[in-house]
Amino acid sequence: MATGVRPLSAARPVLPALGYAAIWLFLLAFLVYPLLQIFYDAFTDEAGHVTLANVAEFLGDAYYVRSLGNSILLGLGTVFCTSVLGFAVAFLLVRFDFRGRDLFGYLTLIPIISPPLVGVLGFTFIMGRAGTVNVLLHDWFDVARPINFVYGVHGVLLVETLHLFPMITLNVVDALGKIDPSLEEAAESVGARGWRKLRTITLPLTTPGYVAGALLVFIWTFSDFATPLVLGVHDLLAAQAYLNITQFVDRRLFRMGIVISALMIGLAVLFLVAARRYVAIKDYSSLAYARIARRRLSPPAQTAAIAFLSLVMLASFIPYLGVGLASVGKGWSLTPFPVQYTLQYYERVIVETPKYIVNSLLYSTLAVIGCIVIGVPIAWILARTRLPGRDTLDGLNTLILALPGTAIGIAYIRAFHAPLPWLDLKLTSLWIVLPLVLCIRRLPYTVRGAYASLLLVHRSMEEAAASVGATGPRSFRDITLPLIWRGVLVGSLFSFVTSLQEASAVLFLSLGGWETIPVGIFAFYIAGSANEAAALGVILIVVAALTVLVINRVAGARMGGMFG
Amino acid sequence: MQITISHVVKRFGATIAVDGATLDVADGELFTLLGPSGCGKTTLLRLLAGFYTPDDGEIRFGTRRVERLPPYERNIGMVFQNYALWPHMTVRANVTYGLRLRKLPAGEIARRLEDGLRQVNLVGLQDRYPGQLSGGQQQRVALARALVLNPDILLLDEPLSNLDAKIRVQVRGEIRRLQQALGITTVYVTHDQEEALSLSDRIAVMREGRIQQVAEPRALYERPANRFVADFVGTNNFIPGVCKEREAGGILVETSLGLVHGRLADGITAGTPCVLAVRPENVTLGSAGDNVFEGRVVVASYLGNTLRYDVETVPGLVLTVDVHDAWHHRPLAVGQAVHVGFPASAALTLRDD
Repeated sequence: MATGVRPLSAARPVLPALGYAAIWLFLLAFLVYPLLQIFYDAFTDEAGHVTLANVAEFLGDAYYVRSLGNSILLGLGTVFCTSVLGFAVAFLLVRFDFRGRDLFGYLTLIPIISPPLVGVLGFTFIMGRAGTVNVLLHDWFDVARPINFVYGVHGVLLVETLHLFPMITLNVVDALGKIDPSLEEAAESVGARGWRKLRTITLPLTTPGYVAGALLVFIWTFSDFATPLVLGVHDLLAAQAYLNITQFVDRRLFRMGIVISALMIGLAVLFLVAARRYVAIKDYSSLAYARIARRRLSPPAQTAAIAFLSLVMLASFIPYLGVGLASVGKGWSLTPFPVQYTLQYYERVIVETPKYIVNSLLYSTLAVIGCIVIGVPIAWILARTRLPGRDTLDGLNTLILALPGTAIGIAYIRAFHAPLPWLDLKLTSLWIVLPLVLCIRRLPYTVRGAYASLLLVHRSMEEAAASVGATGPRSFRDITLPLIWRGVLVGSLFSFVTSLQEASAVLFLSLGGWETIPVGIFAFYIAGSANEAAALGVILIVVAALTVLVINRVAGARMGGMFG
Repeated sequence: MQITISHVVKRFGATIAVDGATLDVADGELFTLLGPSGCGKTTLLRLLAGFYTPDDGEIRFGTRRVERLPPYERNIGMVFQNYALWPHMTVRANVTYGLRLRKLPAGEIARRLEDGLRQVNLVGLQDRYPGQLSGGQQQRVALARALVLNPDILLLDEPLSNLDAKIRVQVRGEIRRLQQALGITTVYVTHDQEEALSLSDRIAVMREGRIQQVAEPRALYERPANRFVADFVGTNNFIPGVCKEREAGGILVETSLGLVHGRLADGITAGTPCVLAVRPENVTLGSAGDNVFEGRVVVASYLGNTLRYDVETVPGLVLTVDVHDAWHHRPLAVGQAVHVGFPASAALTLRDD
């Protein structure tokens, strides 16, 4: 038959190979190398000889051993509390119908909207020694001595639990949504009902997602130093690491900080291994959810559920109230609420010293550009190819999720303190190091967003394009990109908002003039200017809330999967 | 455009998906690759399309070697099992995408779009999105998208498997009519033997990466090359035995039923183990035929156009009998003793493999 169309010719591209090499080079230089450097430092002495002396010194010091024990106990305690709370909330939200269910759904947004540093500040304003609650207790009930709600390990446990339980909830909601209803129907058909069905079928099916969430909660608590320090708790490992590293005087203390950092990285690797075993982590997909018939609760049960969730919600929103009041309150001492209101703190952090906001936006924007440039190709490689090194790439991406900012901050200090090759410059003395570390830290969100939507674009759609004459790049532009841009955008916005909130890694690396909003909050609070810290906190919350709003508009997106 | 496939091998890791396939597809022919899932038929089709590159062997379209060419240099049209319509594009955009890539003039594109949609009876739907179409309509958009490029070769990967049974038969007829009207060389992949028999010029039956037999539909049904083909295409009773001696027009086979008169096939010699294949429609109830045995009805099933009995002759050997004229037949009860028989010409001897 007549062939009215000439075949197209294609360029044989060398570019993809170069691109793949560039991605690897970037990850090796800014992720793998710093982490290896920390391990090297932890297991060598000043002269570079391999030694266990550092570890022995660490284990021989009773204070560190006690801190280690405290940190582990705190981590386990937080995992326990978040699990109980997280499972309860997840089951109520997914399986039952009651008044206000949608409203309570917003509980799961807490860790995204309110960064931990802001959360702990808010708590101290309301629940602290001279906070609203204690003042009210004194005024109304003549309680002479203020009750210590937050200062101490119990306070850390409270703050971490309220901040982190949504991670369990999100993962369990996600896992519950993925359970094919027929699995439970089959269980019922053979006679398993109620608790028995829950225990033998439903819970085991949610285990992979749960384990991922629980491990993240543990690592997060274990390596958070800002919350304990604000609450006056020093005998935890992460707090020690921060104090040791930032004092820059005593080399022995510095080495101990490095050993602690290596320990944290080891934990993250452990997470990776466990994640591989439980597979769930690799299952980023699933934007499609099985339809679930929700059970209507009986009136008494409904009342109980609403009361329970209201209490959780109230507790979770204490920080917002506290930060909000403190940012506009003047002369707030020994009164339940501020007596005068002012915008002077906002004026100070926005107009007088705009550097916090400017730096934050600049660094986060640069970081997100990096995330897209590197992350989208990585997602494409993971979803579409069997290139050598693909599995390692996948593993590194998961590792980053579990890597504490504390550890990577210390790793950067160690790895990039030496002058760059061929240049008489230290990377740690250039501000570009901040966008770099943010880019690495937040890469997984962009990768996951892009990966999830790539999985939804059936490969045959690209093949169909090839069959009618589209070359690879052309088909990516015309077919793939229009179908995945929402996923990429959602992932990038996640990367953006979490970059803005990043405190730990940036606190280690930030030098004068580079301060971001979280650095400003920490500095103001430690220096006693709590109101300015609160004003910056409110700005951070507002930006995060707006971003989440955009994400919801763009994708109606589920936040699950992003964290585990 | 003629297709020549020579000694093509495709491996995935340790598994050999296509193992030395050699085939010719004539110009204008509708050629079907038939086999169970995992037999390599889709792999072979994707080798033709250019989504895979063979590890060995060569593929020619006409005289041009194509096995190393990417899909877009082969001038093929492909219809995917799930249609692979781009959900963000209208019917018009889907169908004309390839034309626009080739930078044809707008008038030419409009003309081809109109022709293409008319060919598949979709005129008037060009501004719909794929999500707004029924399964049958989506299937036809996919077909139009493949045809507007005037491809040399049309490749169809189980195009009917996602359609309802009724529509399937209808679309099947449409595909065949269109293919013959255009005279386009077509390779069709299916696991449905009825579909294959009804629309193909020739069929290749595949199993575990190897081509078992290439034949026209009737030859495939009446003279299967081996037990696998006899079993996969249509229904057969298999009676294992050992070939004894030739006789006039046939061969005598010793089986658990006793001596059976069978029809001789190629490659069968006296003294070798073989299997007799007898189609249920060739087995009759009663004492007529070259081979008659006693038995007992174990299952009776009513299939609408046939009444099917499973008759146990000797223990463990069940013969399936189809009675087509159910109206004039007095139904038999399960357990009833009957005679079953078949002519020697209906009992094909096959190598037992």
